[in-house]
Amino acid sequence: MALPQNKIVRWIDRRLPVFTFLDHELNQYPTPRNLNYWWNFGSLAGIMLVIMIVTGIFLAMQYTPHVDYAFNSVERIMRDVDYGWLMRYIHMNGASFFFIVTYIHIFRGLYYGSYKEPRELLWILGVVILLLMMATAFMGYVLPWGQMSFWGATVITNLFSAFPGIGNDIVTWLWGGFAIGNPTLNRFYALHYLLPFVIVAVVGLHLVALHQHGSNNPLGIDRKGPQDSIPFHPYYTYKDMFGLSVFLIIFALFVFYAPNFLGDPQNYIPANPLQTPPEIVPEWYFLPFYAILRSIPNKLFGVCAMFGSILVLFIVPWLDTSKVRSSYFRPVYKWVFWLLVIDAFVLGWVGAHRPEGWFVVIGRIGTFYYYLHFLILMPFIGWFERPLPLPPSIAEAVLGKGGGTLPGAAAAREKP
Amino acid sequence: MNARSGLLIAAFLVATPALAQTPPASPPAAVPAADADVMPALPKVPWSFDGPFGTFDRAALQRGFQIYNEVCSNCHSMNLLSYRDLSALGYSEDQIKAIAAQKEVTDGPNDQGEMFQRPALPADHFVAPFANEKAARAANNGALPPDLSVIIKARDGGADYVHGILTGFTAPPAGFPMSDNMQYDLYFPGYQIAMPPPLADNTVSFADGTQPLLDEEARDVTTFLTWASEPTMEERKRTGAKVVIFLLAMTGVLYGAKRRVWSKLH
Amino acid sequence: MADSAQSHSLGAGHDAGSRRDFLVIAANALVGVGAACVAWPLIKSMNPAADVLAAGAPVDIDISSVQPGQQIVVLWRSRPIFIVHRTPDELTKLQTDADRALLRDPDSDNLQQPPYAKNAYRSVKPEYLVLVGICTHLGCIPNFVPAPGGSLGASWPGGYFCPCHGSRYDLAGRVFSGVPAPLNLPVPPYHFVSDTTVRIGENPPDSTFDFGSIEQI
Repeated sequence: MALPQNKIVRWIDRRLPVFTFLDHELNQYPTPRNLNYWWNFGSLAGIMLVIMIVTGIFLAMQYTPHVDYAFNSVERIMRDVDYGWLMRYIHMNGASFFFIVTYIHIFRGLYYGSYKEPRELLWILGVVILLLMMATAFMGYVLPWGQMSFWGATVITNLFSAFPGIGNDIVTWLWGGFAIGNPTLNRFYALHYLLPFVIVAVVGLHLVALHQHGSNNPLGIDRKGPQDSIPFHPYYTYKDMFGLSVFLIIFALFVFYAPNFLGDPQNYIPANPLQTPPEIVPEWYFLPFYAILRSIPNKLFGVCAMFGSILVLFIVPWLDTSKVRSSYFRPVYKWVFWLLVIDAFVLGWVGAHRPEGWFVVIGRIGTFYYYLHFLILMPFIGWFERPLPLPPSIAEAVLGKGGGTLPGAAAAREKP
Repeated sequence: MNARSGLLIAAFLVATPALAQTPPASPPAAVPAADADVMPALPKVPWSFDGPFGTFDRAALQRGFQIYNEVCSNCHSMNLLSYRDLSALGYSEDQIKAIAAQKEVTDGPNDQGEMFQRPALPADHFVAPFANEKAARAANNGALPPDLSVIIKARDGGADYVHGILTGFTAPPAGFPMSDNMQYDLYFPGYQIAMPPPLADNTVSFADGTQPLLDEEARDVTTFLTWASEPTMEERKRTGAKVVIFLLAMTGVLYGAKRRVWSKLH
Repeated sequence: MADSAQSHSLGAGHDAGSRRDFLVIAANALVGVGAACVAWPLIKSMNPAADVLAAGAPVDIDISSVQPGQQIVVLWRSRPIFIVHRTPDELTKLQTDADRALLRDPDSDNLQQPPYAKNAYRSVKPEYLVLVGICTHLGCIPNFVPAPGGSLGASWPGGYFCPCHGSRYDLAGRVFSGVPAPLNLPVPPYHFVSDTTVRIGENPPDSTFDFGSIEQI
């Protein structure tokens, strides 16, 4: 254990082993040496969570959660509060970018089989985080109390009336009234402030689960020995910082030069319960699910299809029957994966339009394919596909046969 | 797939639509297409505030404010702005006090318990023309003139749309079914707008001698409305330049550091 | 299950050291600068916002109906401002040794007023007193007790009595000795824009006094 000699550090560490913990998790924690840049997105998601919480807290100092003041308090932040416009635009675009990195992180997991044994719970915790993110984002969007805030909330909370018998009671309970109103806004504010900290806790569990067996890698094969891995610090700390910097450039371009590009102009109109906007559209990150919801002509089954599309993610570790993790070695599934990606984009595009004409047909095909992919293709391809032969180890695949001339491997044979 | 190129492609796909200039639209059709769903393309106006280095033309802002004050404010409120905000347009404190004092605000209660009228102060919000929504509708055949504080951000097409509306009033084509109290406008969805044309040549006369032709008036008031919708726009773009340059430098250095750190393995 | 990985500490290995260390140090420095640049606007956002600052602008008060011996209280920056129309008798009493002997700081040596109010009357015009009505002990609002004597004792010259802990001030806002309050009541920046209108919160044209420089509100 390379602990500094510093007396203060040792005094603290003896009583609360933070430094030993950090040394173990960063300096000693073995990470596969062959991770590519698709592995940056987990840390990016973590950083986005921090950015959202920090900007959110400072915005909360200035926001008023009352139907008569909410819209104006947000505009006051934009105009009168020092750097208020910056915090608001970071928080607003940060939600979108949080979802972008999370979706990429999820698709990375699907492609490389990161959900497979022994990482099933890691994956399930991730889906829980996704659900919490979606709830948080939904409630957060209501807070500015624009037209889309109000009407989007009306549409989505009305979904719960689909449940037979108790549906209407549930909706009234959610609303705290006869329609979306002040009680709803207040409770959404309270919950929007709370859930991110629940997300932090689940992310903690997610990292504990991750560290049990370490990260997956692009080859999908287990680490077999020290020559397959490198310490997280400094290799992946620097790689993550570099990736973060690139990501921040793109984020900054949106925040500073196109801050309203991902949003809807209707939300700059104060909420009017007596006037429905011509089109009610959720934010882009909900569009695929919105498309699934509207593709089924029956209200209850539409709701079930929408929630089902996320619930099906929970059982992915058992739906995929392949013995091989990474699509790199799966010649058939490798292409089928991209069909899912295309399907997600198509569903998103459908969700942005009114359910008329061709959009209905395409939406139904897209929904059908989504479930087909998870419930039929994943198990069947796993059973019948002949995977490519796996390399004997990561080190051999990465470094070529032998690998004995590397300083890393040589050092590994010495005692730390 | 090479991860680095994958990331670059992703970045390109994400960043390009936001930054790409939309190509100039064809000139507006004098007569709309027979299919009412196909609106004429909105003419794109080259605004001084366009693009990552755009700024507001102060003279245009002042002329635009004059138009708002003399014409639009008779029906349209702008509740989210205060008179003190006008200092960004280049007005002095005394000028702002004078502009504010032209309007009256209800204040009170006084020691007798009554509400009273007093001249507006710079700290007051812009005085609305009507006491409430119903009064506004009653004075306008049931239509509500929307508040203009964030109108540019609240409409698809933004500044081009508002400019289009203001310059798009024409006679309806023969046989077009006009509803009562509506005006024909080329760029308003459905072609019928409740607002009578607010601007024409020489509606106002500008102190700086600029010719008050319709298009100039429309552009100036749209510039003012764009400023009003987002007074911090220039600060945003300036800060953005500093941030992006810093991030580019930091990315370069971090890339070098990452390569250095990883060179021990290669 | 921890594989024991080799521990790479950055300090070891000085070969090809300086260029690599420079890059690493530069990288860390830039990240630190970046973090500070992010923290700065967040902290600044907690400053009073533009509308709050505007609400703290000077206020014009019409004093034409304030009778001699009467006090009115107005608000400036959410604080009570006492405006008193003093009688000639009250003004004479302020100069006497008897009154001065009761005081902790009779010559207003402590900086609790603008320079144009550092005189025997602590005001711009002798007959009008303008004070910030917040006791310099712990912030209560003192009661206006202009009548001499009475329940406060025979030697009470008239002035202010704070009900919270018993601090006393004379009719120029000067604090008595032997009371908990340490300082005279503050005088805000003000001047007369006309004979009947006083503007609280703004210095006369020839003064640049910063109200934030007084010892304590």
